[in-house]
Amino acid sequence: MSAEAIRPVTDRDSAEWWDRVRAGEFALQRCGSCGTPRFPARAYCHRCRGAEWSWEPVEPAGRIESWIVSHQPFLPGVREPYVVVMVRLAAAPECVMYGNWRGEEPPRAGQRVEAAFTAVDDGLTLIDWRPAA
Amino acid sequence: MAGFRDRTAVAGVGYTRFSKDSGVSTLTLACEAILAALEDAGLTADDVDGLATHRVGDSAAPSVVGPALGVHRPSWHLDQFGGGSVSHSVIGQAALAVAAGVAETVVCYRAINARSEFRMGGTGRGLPVSPEVQYQAPYGYVAPPQQYAMFARAHMAKYGTKEEHFGQLAVRQRASAAKNPRALMRTPITLDDYLASRWIAEPFRLLDCCLETDGACALVVTTAERARDLRRPPVLISAAAWGGGDSFLSGGPSDVTVTAAAELAPRLYRQAGVGPAEIDVAEIYDCFTYSVVVQLEDYGFCAKGEGGPYAASGEGIPVNTHGGFLSEGYVHGINHVAEAVSQLRGDAGDRQVDGAEVALSTAQPGYILPATSALILRKG
Repeated sequence: MSAEAIRPVTDRDSAEWWDRVRAGEFALQRCGSCGTPRFPARAYCHRCRGAEWSWEPVEPAGRIESWIVSHQPFLPGVREPYVVVMVRLAAAPECVMYGNWRGEEPPRAGQRVEAAFTAVDDGLTLIDWRPAA
Repeated sequence: MAGFRDRTAVAGVGYTRFSKDSGVSTLTLACEAILAALEDAGLTADDVDGLATHRVGDSAAPSVVGPALGVHRPSWHLDQFGGGSVSHSVIGQAALAVAAGVAETVVCYRAINARSEFRMGGTGRGLPVSPEVQYQAPYGYVAPPQQYAMFARAHMAKYGTKEEHFGQLAVRQRASAAKNPRALMRTPITLDDYLASRWIAEPFRLLDCCLETDGACALVVTTAERARDLRRPPVLISAAAWGGGDSFLSGGPSDVTVTAAAELAPRLYRQAGVGPAEIDVAEIYDCFTYSVVVQLEDYGFCAKGEGGPYAASGEGIPVNTHGGFLSEGYVHGINHVAEAVSQLRGDAGDRQVDGAEVALSTAQPGYILPATSALILRKG
């Protein structure tokens, strides 16, 4: 998609998640009280309001919820067109994650997909998506 | 909220010219629209004791506009952060303040140079500050048309909604705008024009998208009792509802084809004591065509999944009689309320809906900032 990726502006809740992605780990937070997985990272469980949690590596997989083909230039340094997908996570059905599409064929609604870790440089890895093997 | 119903009213509306380059500041636009609304009501700035707006760091605040109009010590003001999802809550909150006796005459305004100064969505200024942006921007996913296209595609995939449905809606709104002297785009279009317009973010084409507009609009909110003594026929605020929805990133609903409006609508109708069958005209937030389709479902005008064919047919509730954001201009929600007022006063000219007595107007239904708001207005 991009000649130069827009770098994420991380925050105090999310920085560790990005570190784990850079290390090649697909992790979610799991609530220490009720077990509900959550993404993006934050301190309290939205279900039981528990403050105990841990990182848990989960299956880097999901299904295509939707997708777009972006043509209009919105950002400098980006080559259009490109495909952005919205993926509902297999390990956390309440959660969706975005990424660029790394498949040969266009995505299909409901298609099973897996994460494709894309190292942009030493400091940044992004998660893209491709058809499940 | 039965004690709220019909106790307040919109007593005046005012506009600036809509354009692609106003050449003036948002402060100037705000003052011009407010003075026009006060003139419409038969009031002056000396009568104003409250000001309210919403903005995203792109416009003049009440604390600036008030003194600029000689309103030095308003007894109430609201400077609401937010985009289209809060537009109608600003008016609802003004009505609450008036109903509670905190203020008597509030001007609600939105002034925006959305084409010449502050374009939405990462074109022309920095990215918005939201924790979700870091998970989207690196993939080139930053702009409202991309986000709405994503949800529109999900609706198409689940219910068979077609691009032609979106197109017919755009064609009909342009036909309405042709009857509206304020509208920026008044030249009729055909479905072929729609299908030939360039891609912005598939499944959206240029003609699925609202107009980036410079302009302002203002409303005067006062008590129903006082409004009856003013220059124009009062339009009563029967119900005002707002509330949060769920983020679609985490802990949100599993169905992205249902918006926060589905939760809000029953509360809104209950407050007003009416249902969708009693609504005569609906001015529905149309940042993109799909926004209308999904709200026709979530406000109960048709069943879930039938919004595409319903919107395309043009045979249901009259929608966006002014042309909407797609063709009149984009003033971030308030111009939809102003058009509803005009319909209920019966002064909408060639686009008047015969016998309109009850109107619905809605805000962005909660896809981007997960909240929405809406009003039901009634002829006084």
